[in-house]
Amino acid sequence: MDENIITQIRDKAKDLLSSGAVECVIGYETSTDGTTSRPAFIYDSGDVERLVFNNTCTHNLAAYLSNKKEQKVAIIVKPCDARAVNVLLSERQIEREKVYIIGIVCQGVVPVKWSKVGEDLQMRCKLCDQHVPVIYDYLIGEPAEEPSPTVSPWTSVAEIESKSPADKTDYWEKQFSKCIRCYACRQVCMGCYCRECFAELLDPEWVGIRIDISENAMWNTIRAFHLSGRCIGCGECARVCPVNIPLGLLNMKMAKEVAERFEYRAGLSDEALAPLATFIKEENLGIGE
Amino acid sequence: MEQKPNPFMPHMATIKSVTDLTPDVKLFNTELDDPAAQSGFNYQPGQFAFLSAYGIGEAPFCLTSAAHRKSGIEFAIRAVGTVTNALHELEEGAKVGIRGPFGNSFPMDEYKGKNIIIIGGGIGMAPLHPVINTIIDCRDDYGNLLIMNGARTPQDLVFKDEFDVWAKAPNTKVELTVDRGDDDWKGRVALIPDVVVDLNPSPEKAIAIICGPPIMIHFTLIKLKDLGFANDQIVTTLEGKMKCGLGKCGRCNVGEKYICVDGPVFTFEQISQFIEQF
Amino acid sequence: MSKFISKDELAFWLDGLMKDRQLIAPVIVDDQTVFKPIMNVDEIVFDYKNTVLSAKEWFFPTTEPLFTICHKDGSTDLAPIDIEKESVVFGIRPCDAAGLKLLDKVFLGEPPDFIYSQRRDKTTLIGLTCLEPAPQCFCGSMGTTPNNADDVDIMLTEVEDGYIVSTVTEKGKALLSDVKLSDSEKSWQEAKCPTELQVKEVPEAMKNCFEDNYWTRVSDRCIHCNICAYVCPVCHCFDIRDCPTSEETERIRCWDSCQSPGFTRAAGGHTPRPTKGSRLRQRFYHKLLYFPERFGDLQCTGCGRCVLSCPVNIDIREIIMDVPKLGAESGAKA
Repeated sequence: MDENIITQIRDKAKDLLSSGAVECVIGYETSTDGTTSRPAFIYDSGDVERLVFNNTCTHNLAAYLSNKKEQKVAIIVKPCDARAVNVLLSERQIEREKVYIIGIVCQGVVPVKWSKVGEDLQMRCKLCDQHVPVIYDYLIGEPAEEPSPTVSPWTSVAEIESKSPADKTDYWEKQFSKCIRCYACRQVCMGCYCRECFAELLDPEWVGIRIDISENAMWNTIRAFHLSGRCIGCGECARVCPVNIPLGLLNMKMAKEVAERFEYRAGLSDEALAPLATFIKEENLGIGE
Repeated sequence: MEQKPNPFMPHMATIKSVTDLTPDVKLFNTELDDPAAQSGFNYQPGQFAFLSAYGIGEAPFCLTSAAHRKSGIEFAIRAVGTVTNALHELEEGAKVGIRGPFGNSFPMDEYKGKNIIIIGGGIGMAPLHPVINTIIDCRDDYGNLLIMNGARTPQDLVFKDEFDVWAKAPNTKVELTVDRGDDDWKGRVALIPDVVVDLNPSPEKAIAIICGPPIMIHFTLIKLKDLGFANDQIVTTLEGKMKCGLGKCGRCNVGEKYICVDGPVFTFEQISQFIEQF
Repeated sequence: MSKFISKDELAFWLDGLMKDRQLIAPVIVDDQTVFKPIMNVDEIVFDYKNTVLSAKEWFFPTTEPLFTICHKDGSTDLAPIDIEKESVVFGIRPCDAAGLKLLDKVFLGEPPDFIYSQRRDKTTLIGLTCLEPAPQCFCGSMGTTPNNADDVDIMLTEVEDGYIVSTVTEKGKALLSDVKLSDSEKSWQEAKCPTELQVKEVPEAMKNCFEDNYWTRVSDRCIHCNICAYVCPVCHCFDIRDCPTSEETERIRCWDSCQSPGFTRAAGGHTPRPTKGSRLRQRFYHKLLYFPERFGDLQCTGCGRCVLSCPVNIDIREIIMDVPKLGAESGAKA
């Protein structure tokens, strides 16, 4: 089954590149450990044999679109990644005509670290209710009936929510004290495309560069706020964290709050306006009257 | 074991005077509080030091005074970022920190007997200022001195008070130019590279020292090469972001060199050998 | 005939060391092995491949004050930082110890870094031989080996029921002065790394491929986080900033990385390395050409942490293998 998908991906990529429809295909290739995968950028139709697709293709490639705005590119997306592309489109970060979206009907991915492939599906895949990408120009894979997951999408945050305030403080202090401010969570995130992040500013200095519990807590929680209503739950932040901080929990918590208060879920349309990230000039805010 | 001094700790110093040189450049005259440290603070033209606005930060500035004049440790600072803006708020009597001197210097001894062409744009005059004054003070040791100074407008010329003093020295010419004149400006309105062509200095026994915005250096270099100047006759100071001054923090690394330790003074012969061209 | 210490005797000795020293040892935190100061010998994990972060953070911490500035009654005083307590780092692998020797070239070069040199002087290193290198390890190609004792003060190698003890330096000898070691003929098998690389021609080959498109292509997938620099035992870039509180200002330094987009940005906006390719290229050129040109050694000890932790599989082993092939060609323009 996977072989068929891979063949279709390679054929499509070859087609797009040799016709000049795109200058680059962003997909996956095999890592140096021989089993897991890594992002691949194919510029030449002769190189399409590098492209693969399997259950280790956990990376969200949408984050790379912000760096390729000048070129026409094709991108391989799983359903979660497709929601990320929608967010970038609705926030006018990329132009629809410049992106050719190759959607894959996804069976889920496993936890992946270099030279280590998990057996069971990632939690977010178990909770996922969307096996067909919501946006694509070309679909690969057989869409089956959409499953209804047996558990709520907010299962992972429920455990933390049930803790007492004192236990929550303990838990997050322990986690944030591990943070080394490598900013991998930010760099890998499709929603973090600011040219100068608030954490880099000196004047005003929102977050100090000191790597300690206080600044680390501010960094991580402010980032989660900036992603409220924009995070599509790809889990990349948690995957890339070198010290295993469960960052996905923070972002899922904010997503839950937005879903419950505004009945809004990020990335379902390329035009939707995120509740907390949208300012409409015509709206009467009652300020200054 | 013997405790070595902490090279990250600055000397305490006091601002003796602040003079406005241009709308955005101030001259800070400072003195180290410890008399022994002050008399031991020896530096040569081209070297730099870190000036601390305590609580805000520290930044590197070229030492613009000529040490042998013993008239205070001077910095000509343009307000362009957080630390420089904080320094501009300080007045006479304020406490600052000075760490240095760091870097290499212009080899003034090697320049003796040669014709020196100084080409400075805007705040680029700051590191050239001590070179000029060292030559002026030992005028007979050097050949002809040609000083070309350009700025955006007449107000932005940095060391206006000294032009007459320099021009009066034997075999010394001061040629000024601006990008945009004003009602009182009777002088040249031209870009520095064009002025170089106009003045046509000879490369014979000459050294050209250029300092200014990267684009000015780029085009001036081309004109000097056209006139026959060899790469090792053209010298500059490199501006890179520097933090430690000790060759340890990695920020000013270019090739196997650290600007703070191996520079900031480099000939274009050396720069042309850099594997990375900034 | 070698010297031997049993597991119980080792625990007893380490426990004794904690009375007037800080003991830093590998422990498990949330499924990861990390170096931490410990209160109890029971916390130590002895059976691990390597720690997530290297031992460098105990000599060059993620954040540390350089000095403090006290403002009081109108006067300003500067107070230096003194390292009072002695420390022991237990369980350091040869790759990390070799890394410290390379960091010494930077931090102890004139003028020596005041704080780093105090930490190095006051810390004794007890190394642990690698008997089973991990898949990402390649120290054997980078100037050290899984059992190299040159860079530690005491080297332990696990054998049946305990450890063979090798006293390397006077500092190590002093730490063992109250310990009765027995004689043993127990043997152990020297291990080899799974990957072997040819590195001799790499610096020269680097000179020929600076403009090659290769660096831009590799940087396509680089996300320019700081992970590789932070997990590396030999990366040493840092930032300096003033951190004021109500009573005093601490001038601190903290880890930084040449990969971060603003690293070379100066006040006024001029950024010498604005592109992803130029930043990624800087990392590998610094490690494989500039550092050896300046200090004589490649700036890599083959610990493999960057290989393990890079979220997009930028693999220095792959780069090392690719570069001589690039250098051999005339090198296409980027």
